Amino acid sequence: MAIMMPAPDQAVLNRREAIVAALRAIVPGEGVIDSPAEMLPYESDGLMAYRQPPMVVVLPDTTEQVSQVLKYCFEQGIKVVPRGSGTSLSGGALPLADGVLLGLGKFKRIRDIDFDNRVVVTEPGVTNLAISQAVAHAGYYYAPDPSSQIACSIGGNVAENSGGVHCLKYGMTTNNVLGCEIVLITGEVIRIGGKSAETSGYDLMGIITGSEGLLGVITEITVRILQKPETARALMVGFAQVEAAGQCVAEIIGAGIIPGGMEMMDKPAIHAAEAFVHAGYPLDVEALLIIELDGPGVEVDELIKRVEAIALTCGSTTCQISTSEAERNLFWAGRKAAFPAVGRISPDYLCMDGTIPRGKLPEALARIRDLSVKYDLRVANVFHAGDGNLHPLILYDANKSGEMERAEAFGADILRACVELGGVLTGEHGVGIEKRDLMGEMFSEIDLDQQQRLKCAFDAQGLLNPGKVFPTLHRCAELGRMHVHGGKLAFPDIPRF
Amino acid sequence: MAASSLFQTFRGFEQLIVDTLKIRDARDVEDAVRAAIAGEQPLEIIGHGSKRLIGQPMATNALLDLSALNAVTSYEPNELIITVQAGAPLADVKSLIDSKNQQFAFEPVDTAPLLGTPSLGTIGGMIGAGLAGPRRIKAGGARDHLLGAHGVSGFGESFKAGGRVVKNVTGYDLCKLLAGSWGTLAVMTEVTLKVMPRPESERTLVLRGLDDAAANRAMTAALGSPFDVSGAAHLPNSASRAEVSELGDLGSTREAVTLLRLEGIAASAAHRAAALGKLLAPFGAAQTIEDAASAVIWGSIRDVLPFAAGGAVGAWPVWRIVCPPAAGGALGEQLARDAGGEVIYDWGGGLIWAALPPKPDAQAALVRRHANAVGGHAMLLRASDEVRRNVDVFHPQRAGVAALSERVRQSFDPRSVLNRGRMIRGSAA
Repeated sequence: MAIMMPAPDQAVLNRREAIVAALRAIVPGEGVIDSPAEMLPYESDGLMAYRQPPMVVVLPDTTEQVSQVLKYCFEQGIKVVPRGSGTSLSGGALPLADGVLLGLGKFKRIRDIDFDNRVVVTEPGVTNLAISQAVAHAGYYYAPDPSSQIACSIGGNVAENSGGVHCLKYGMTTNNVLGCEIVLITGEVIRIGGKSAETSGYDLMGIITGSEGLLGVITEITVRILQKPETARALMVGFAQVEAAGQCVAEIIGAGIIPGGMEMMDKPAIHAAEAFVHAGYPLDVEALLIIELDGPGVEVDELIKRVEAIALTCGSTTCQISTSEAERNLFWAGRKAAFPAVGRISPDYLCMDGTIPRGKLPEALARIRDLSVKYDLRVANVFHAGDGNLHPLILYDANKSGEMERAEAFGADILRACVELGGVLTGEHGVGIEKRDLMGEMFSEIDLDQQQRLKCAFDAQGLLNPGKVFPTLHRCAELGRMHVHGGKLAFPDIPRF
Repeated sequence: MAASSLFQTFRGFEQLIVDTLKIRDARDVEDAVRAAIAGEQPLEIIGHGSKRLIGQPMATNALLDLSALNAVTSYEPNELIITVQAGAPLADVKSLIDSKNQQFAFEPVDTAPLLGTPSLGTIGGMIGAGLAGPRRIKAGGARDHLLGAHGVSGFGESFKAGGRVVKNVTGYDLCKLLAGSWGTLAVMTEVTLKVMPRPESERTLVLRGLDDAAANRAMTAALGSPFDVSGAAHLPNSASRAEVSELGDLGSTREAVTLLRLEGIAASAAHRAAALGKLLAPFGAAQTIEDAASAVIWGSIRDVLPFAAGGAVGAWPVWRIVCPPAAGGALGEQLARDAGGEVIYDWGGGLIWAALPPKPDAQAALVRRHANAVGGHAMLLRASDEVRRNVDVFHPQRAGVAALSERVRQSFDPRSVLNRGRMIRGSAA
């Protein structure tokens, strides 16, 4: 394992039997799993290259049980790794050998559907898609749509601040969540926000969203739901050069048009997807844009015309416009199946996730091409082009000695390039363990100290999901110190007020 | 740069003569905060000072003036982002992005008319206050548009949060905390904000004569439609409120008006206005107001002009109550009756502005009892220093949330040198 995790605490491991017994007293029956065979499914999440059996798995089904489990672990100094559906692509739910894996899979109930206030109150184990399905009969849906939406849990979405194809227009998870019930590591249960548009005081919901399970365990979530647009149509536009496609993206946005989704695929991705789903993608283009416009029919028709005209001025070579739902879905089928499609042409692939300013798309692609040559590994690119979110898929064979390491080094270089181009290390997959050691590329030690101080406000012992997000762990007492030298503050010469 | 040479004398507003540290660059901010730590003297952070009358009165005697940090660092319309220094005048930045047909989609509230202060303020104040206008129901608040920030914490350290791209989950989202923190966590020196295309046209549907409950139901129906309503407000009939010229198109204040805004390309806005009018037919026939006239009305709602300092209720305390939108009608109606005041509804009922007849406690107990009953919260946005000294300006939080919030605050500013006591009564000492 290339990523070092915190060393297991032998004293905790020695007490394993007693710990399991204590957890059984809190969560009776099948809620505590300690046999190696049964713990197998929990060894890894969507970042499957990394595996680690936990010390024990606990599956509580009430907030009270979660509270008691956390209180017990807090008092005993035991690490806890929270887990939703286990679809994280950054290793956010990777267990620790001396840690309790706290699964929220039994929190499967939608507690309240409130159409008048346009919110759903749900338990965290409910899948993203199930929320949309539960309100579809009234014309509503939950907007963020990560590609794993059939399986991923809303609790995991909040932990990772998940995005999706439609977040260009409708925002990420953080823009669609109003409140939560969260259990702190001490066992204290806190309610934040609710059905109102804003909370009072500091925006704690905003900081919990995307905190990757390091601040608390969420046991209830209130999300905003939206009415489905009246219609949606898509254009599929091909370009002979990637640069032209990138220019087209910038000009559409520059013209004041915010499509419901705007996706780009490069030639290897197009070919893999077409071979897999036969969506009718043009095979002789270097880049393909799928642009979806949604809203009332009159609006969509007008915007389709404008987008088509912009594409032509940018040198599009092919342009198809959907005339039916079936056709629109077909356009999307290839894009949505891009990951498994690439999986068919390579024994293994690494899915990267960085964001760059939209205008840097051509430059980013050129760099990825150069790196592909340097590392002698193929790469297929799919992007959420509208918001500059790249998903290069690096193809490799784990059975060939050294290829996985090479693929990881390639991926790290791509993310470094993203930061150099003015972007960030992760757009929607999270830092987890995958990008943990790259955090220094983007943040100074002071930046990271400030983030870790915030962690201390929630979890002073560092027991929740340690080893994720931060490359080095500091003790809270250390972080809380002012810069004091010889008993004096660092700037004794500055006059008093 | 030693902090001493930054000192100037400043006659701040009408009351105090205080020392001012006039900041020239981000480095000066570090120096000043470190000096404040060393001297155990809290700083009041200001741009133009437009919002100094909001919050608990503070026990600071030094001003950190960021108005000279006023540059636009970069503006890239095609990227939908702008990076500006915190002291940049909001009016200038608004006209800059307006020239590219873009806007801050959350419609930042101009508190100047409400407070009777001269200036629209700075970008830093806009984010620190985080007050969003009518379009919040569709586009989100200030917190949803702050992509990145540079600032100096109460440790005297420069740090950055977020980035310069719209999609970013790298590390904790500190920007969310900074928005609406009223300068109590860090001195922001530069921010990167999302800008959005300005709609090509707008239509406002006006329904007349509805009582608050019926208006709340009409707004709920509109917001539950697929017609993408971007503003839903209700002005009840008013006996005491003066005519407000900006609402001139709407006629007498003695007649209640319910307003629903539709924005977008002209054909779409017209189509949706017609469809929404049909949907709302049970509430009466709707009049349509277009474009410039419509924009003026929403500007008045955004800035709460009916309660302006110069108006009939200009001397009354003003509360800003946020609640579940469908509960707004009943809450506002009861409050207006029990307190003998006036209310205006925005956000489909989810935001209530309440002007109440003056009392030493601004009727805080009554307001909060009503707000708590529906899971809402109330902030005393306008009141005299004396009243604000005696009242919790921000809604008191439950013990667990309050303790956690205080730990969060201390993680940024353990010595409380930044806007000490502005958000929590009794913490200024």
